Amino acid sequence: MDGDPPPTQGPSAEGTNVEGESPQVEQTVETEEATITDDAELERTLGLTGGLAIGIGTMIGAGIFVFPGLAAGNAGPAASVSFAIGAVVALLVALPASELATAMPKSGGGYYFISRGLGSLAGAVVGLSLWFGLVFASAFYLVGFGYYAVDTLAELGIAVGTELVIPVALLFGAGFIALNVTGTENAAKLQNGVVALLLSILVVFLGYGGLDAVGLLGEPTAPEQFTPAGTLPVFTTAALVFTSYLGFAQVATVAGEMKDPGRNLPLAMVGSVLIVGVLYVVTIFVATSAFGSDQLQRFGETAMVEVGRHYLGSIGAFAIVFGGLLATMSSANASVLSTSRAIYAVSRDALLPQRASRINLRYGTPHVALGLAGGPILVLTATGRVELLAEVASFLHLIMYGLICVALIALRRDEPEWYDPDFRVPGYPVVPALGAISSFALIAFMQPASRYVGGGIMLLTVGWYFYYARDVELKGAL
Amino acid sequence: MTRILVPLEILEGESISAGLTALLEPMNVTVLGYHVLPEQTPPDQARLQYEERATDALEDLAMEFGAGEGTADYRLVFTHNRKQTFDRIAAETASDVYAIPGATGPVERLLVALSGDVAVNRIVSFVAQLVGDREIDVTLFLATDEEDAGRELLETSAQVLSEDGIAVRTELAVDEPPLEALVAAAVDHDAIVMGERAPSLRTLVFGEEAERVATESVGPVLVVRRGEEARDRSASTGGP
Repeated sequence: MDGDPPPTQGPSAEGTNVEGESPQVEQTVETEEATITDDAELERTLGLTGGLAIGIGTMIGAGIFVFPGLAAGNAGPAASVSFAIGAVVALLVALPASELATAMPKSGGGYYFISRGLGSLAGAVVGLSLWFGLVFASAFYLVGFGYYAVDTLAELGIAVGTELVIPVALLFGAGFIALNVTGTENAAKLQNGVVALLLSILVVFLGYGGLDAVGLLGEPTAPEQFTPAGTLPVFTTAALVFTSYLGFAQVATVAGEMKDPGRNLPLAMVGSVLIVGVLYVVTIFVATSAFGSDQLQRFGETAMVEVGRHYLGSIGAFAIVFGGLLATMSSANASVLSTSRAIYAVSRDALLPQRASRINLRYGTPHVALGLAGGPILVLTATGRVELLAEVASFLHLIMYGLICVALIALRRDEPEWYDPDFRVPGYPVVPALGAISSFALIAFMQPASRYVGGGIMLLTVGWYFYYARDVELKGAL
Repeated sequence: MTRILVPLEILEGESISAGLTALLEPMNVTVLGYHVLPEQTPPDQARLQYEERATDALEDLAMEFGAGEGTADYRLVFTHNRKQTFDRIAAETASDVYAIPGATGPVERLLVALSGDVAVNRIVSFVAQLVGDREIDVTLFLATDEEDAGRELLETSAQVLSEDGIAVRTELAVDEPPLEALVAAAVDHDAIVMGERAPSLRTLVFGEEAERVATESVGPVLVVRRGEEARDRSASTGGP
């Protein structure tokens, strides 16, 4: 990507939807600093830190602050194995996704790769499912935020019951969406700061808790059976907590804005998975060393607050409550942004009406897309079903992850001329094949209800495609 | 001929006064139409919606600067980060000067500030080129704590310009706050030329000096960029 590369024949797109709109695709030249179209340039402004902050900021809220209690309740101390399984699956997908992202550094991420690699039906299903997947994920983060908000009040001595969790989540959810429509201040720096602060809190807390747990500090704890409920729950828990690993694909949705994408995209995607994976495993170890799994389960969504109190007294509890508020907030906010980008990506390709990606003249923000994200998010938040929200989000993402790996194999088997990734996945074809298999396999361990809801959404998207955009042709010239 | 970058927030209706167009007439000009987007908005999404309108406006502006004679062109950039875009386009077009467009009538009196750690020689030779044989009076201005050294610098610089047949006078402000003194001196001038300073804590807190001057003085400000060597030097030492 040095100097001025010659314009390459990118993937083509043609056809019209029922409203007569065609995909809006232009030939572009990608440099490290900008995307150059015929008449304009699009500045790449996100660095590696910004990319890592998006990935980590999206993921960390769920895995550390919401799931430990639920996961330990299901699988016992072996819940750390569940998180490790999730990390391995995520890595197996992050590597192929990185290759595709460096070959196609465009907004839209996974949707873009699949529509260009596997065609418009697969693209439409993934693109629209990703919209709903992110909606479910955002709702899940908001409910998590509600629990931490109520706990914060409790720490401050204002005891309110858990019946306030959903109203608080709804209130703040509506607030985030309104802020995203009207806010023109650049919050990216703030997000970087929040993630840095969270990582510092966690490293101190987990460092101390870890030393304590292995018996170097304080009293040794009574050992508990590693897999109190057998090995099956280890896998079902892995399926449940996989929501903690959805963020790396969000990095790909901003691929078009990343500086030096050939280097930064793979580093941000793989790096964020590795960082949060290690933190999750250590967190579960520390949590299950402090309390028995049954007790953790009783503490519920905010079990980590009690773990903080166990190791560091009320300062620990405060730090975790504060961290949990920040983390769930940043996860929710990052997912709302990703949702609006996912909607933009499909509407640009005429799979949704193109007015969905209109920009508001007053604020310069995509208010229609934010509304299409925000409405369903609030409806789902109102259900308050943490586990169902998390699993459906994972289900819809895992379908995309599996197909990303399939798309990579399809592209590699017969490489089109425009396909020139800066990063090539090591261990091809084993890594993408394993990535696809393990993504689909994880779905098999989910609760039936989540599979029905997720499957139902996919069927709806198939129906939409055949009704609305059957004639749209997106597959790259293979 | 020196190339001047004229950044314009094109979709916010920012435009160029007739006085500035006339002042820059002999120079090469790149009009940089830019649009800053909040992070919620992918630049490509804004491009789809605004590209045509912005391109129309830019084509007209570039014509005014002499696109017909090949001395002017334009670029259109959608960005989240204004500063990064300016620096990239300035480097790519080899523009040594950028303009902050303000409001002014015909430019008859030019204030040239030499205060601080700026490349005096580059500024002076740019002014000689800009004024050429036009009827524009130049005031060289310097705010300093060292009266003698300051007077000498002004004298030498003034001599260079008068040798080119330019009407020059000098103004020295000793022990005054440099920025306020400059703004005060700008009152009976139509435009200001100044040098770009190395980024410092001050600029971080208060914003770029040139922009503050532009806001205070209302008129256009031409900023002579630091040379690439100076840029590399402060980059490698992590600032001054």
